[in-house]
Amino acid sequence: MNYDLSEDQSSVLSALDSILADYKAPPIEPVPFAYGAELDAILTESGFLDIAREEGFGPLDAALIVERVARSPLVVEVAASTLVAPVLPIPQGLRPIALHDGALTAPIRFLPQARALVVLRDDHAAIATIDAGQVEEIETMMAYPYGRLVEPTALSFERFDDAGLVRRRWRIGMAAEAAGCMVSALASVLEHVTTRFAFGRPLGSLQAVQHRLAMASEIAESTRWLAFRAAWSDTEADAAIAAGYAQAHISQFTYDLHQFSGAMGLTLEYPLHFWSYRLRALAGELGGASHQSRSAAAAIWGEAA
Amino acid sequence: MEFGWSPEEQAHRQRIRALLDETLPDDWEQLSVHGPGSDYQTDYSKQFCAMLAERGLLVPHWPAAYGGEDAPVWHQFILGEEMWAAGEPRGAQYMNVNWVGPVLMKFGTPDQIARHIPPIHAGQAIWCQGFSEPGAGSDLAALRTTATPVEGGYSVSGAKIWTSYAGKADTCFLLARLPAREGGPTGKAAIVILLTDMKSPGIQVKQIPALIGEGDIHEVFFDEVFVPTDCRLGAEGQAWEIINSVLANERTGIARYEFSRRMLDRGVARLKEEGRWNDPVVQDRAARALMLCEAARMLVYRIVDGKARDLPPDAFPSVARWAVVRADNGVNDFLTEFLPDGLCGGDPVQLAHHQRAIAAGVASGAAEIQLNLIARRWLELPGESRK
Repeated sequence: MNYDLSEDQSSVLSALDSILADYKAPPIEPVPFAYGAELDAILTESGFLDIAREEGFGPLDAALIVERVARSPLVVEVAASTLVAPVLPIPQGLRPIALHDGALTAPIRFLPQARALVVLRDDHAAIATIDAGQVEEIETMMAYPYGRLVEPTALSFERFDDAGLVRRRWRIGMAAEAAGCMVSALASVLEHVTTRFAFGRPLGSLQAVQHRLAMASEIAESTRWLAFRAAWSDTEADAAIAAGYAQAHISQFTYDLHQFSGAMGLTLEYPLHFWSYRLRALAGELGGASHQSRSAAAAIWGEAA
Repeated sequence: MEFGWSPEEQAHRQRIRALLDETLPDDWEQLSVHGPGSDYQTDYSKQFCAMLAERGLLVPHWPAAYGGEDAPVWHQFILGEEMWAAGEPRGAQYMNVNWVGPVLMKFGTPDQIARHIPPIHAGQAIWCQGFSEPGAGSDLAALRTTATPVEGGYSVSGAKIWTSYAGKADTCFLLARLPAREGGPTGKAAIVILLTDMKSPGIQVKQIPALIGEGDIHEVFFDEVFVPTDCRLGAEGQAWEIINSVLANERTGIARYEFSRRMLDRGVARLKEEGRWNDPVVQDRAARALMLCEAARMLVYRIVDGKARDLPPDAFPSVARWAVVRADNGVNDFLTEFLPDGLCGGDPVQLAHHQRAIAAGVASGAAEIQLNLIARRWLELPGESRK
């Protein structure tokens, strides 16, 4: 048991942080989200997104990167590329990747940027390459790009049998991404309640506010460490626990952070939504918290006596 | 970064489990139901802890100079997890090995160490913690029990409440306040710690009937109790520093989430036996309680990891303590809803867990105090007085 980063992990995250330092500022325009195309290109070129394919590295290193990139106000597809793609027959470099588990007519996260689509079914995953002409972008208040397939039946899918592996890595990525979003969302609101005065005192000095932010910090810490453990063990139980915990707590977490941001938190000029509306999008992935919860129950205790 | 156990740590855990299987009475589940403070468990702890001491499992984490083995921090913690999950057969003595002994080593005089460490090391000492008072619980600094300087020591008068193990304790780790005087210390600086012999004339102990079992809650009255000067721990004015050291150890000393996790496993086994497990709602709710346990585990492990790596203490124990309280109550809520008969004579261990869980957010300082500490010290939010 050792919570400290290894030398390699420290080096990787240090290099990553120096890149992310240039992308800390939220977009100037009031937008629901901003895809970090330039950041995406730099991360790709620098090899960060292929880390789990490298000798001596694995899912934990990938999850560390996912969590760190998710702190940026700019959105970049990282989780599927670093955690899911390495276990699939997807050529290295074919990305961004959209993950989906519903009807092919439904909105799909990251589809407008995606060059590959992975559709998870109960007993297999189906993989297709995508080109821009097959996608129509959807307007959404969620802080991810969403698109819809123009003609789903025109896609040609390759079958991958280990659906469990894809689901597990998806869950780990989701938990790590949620953890990163929580870090920045909380930091953003902490700054607000420290500098915003009401009734002659900072909002953050009010005990009612302090207690709920303290609870939010526990949720953020729990999400993060459960995600990292799941990435380290790469087991069904830990992955379901990590993703389920994150999803089960997103509602309260985001509600409180918006509440303490007041009307500012309802605007696109205030940055909270860049993380809170990613979190709210993640809350419904893979069937939502109850689905992960029942999977965790099955993994830990089995189906029946 | 890695989250697994070394072969040595796994062997250590297996050794403890085998020892518990071998030594605990067959009817331990019934006997342990009244909790670590019960007469039975307090008496049994002297037998059990003596056996642990003989086998080098009572204080292996202590420094060799004090009879320990300088064992790794994680070994102590694994021991605590297994003991708490088994109903804490060390009884009140878990406190001795977790914080009383280490605090004495750090702040005690040679004479105090010579007097108190050997019986703790032998598993024969029962301590109680004279902190809370009718008007000073989580707000410890408000305590009013007085320690008036007299020839050769202090005359202590006042009352303590909610004192666990007081009925059986040999020694009280007692906090009292020097009387106010012109130019004298005030507030926290006026508190002294007195290692008080519970057989001293003038001490009266009264057990308070409670929902949480036998022996856990007492009132202790001090009527001009004489405590010699050489029983004061640390200098006058140093008490608050020592108390913070105690609280830092105490707040993470108990692996409550492990007992909750095992209760959850036990509850699921019962639901399976009764043919009720295949209900997806039951599975969902069970796993949500499980998630709280595992979250608490990860946060508590982070603290232990910090100790193991000798990192400076921070405010994270308060974050972990909040998670532990949530875990205890999450499991308790699940069991109370889906296995209510367990609290009506159906399962003594579930009853014991329930009694621990309802106290989890109250004992060792209210959970809301932890939220205050998280806000101020972890999140660095401004205090109320800031304008």
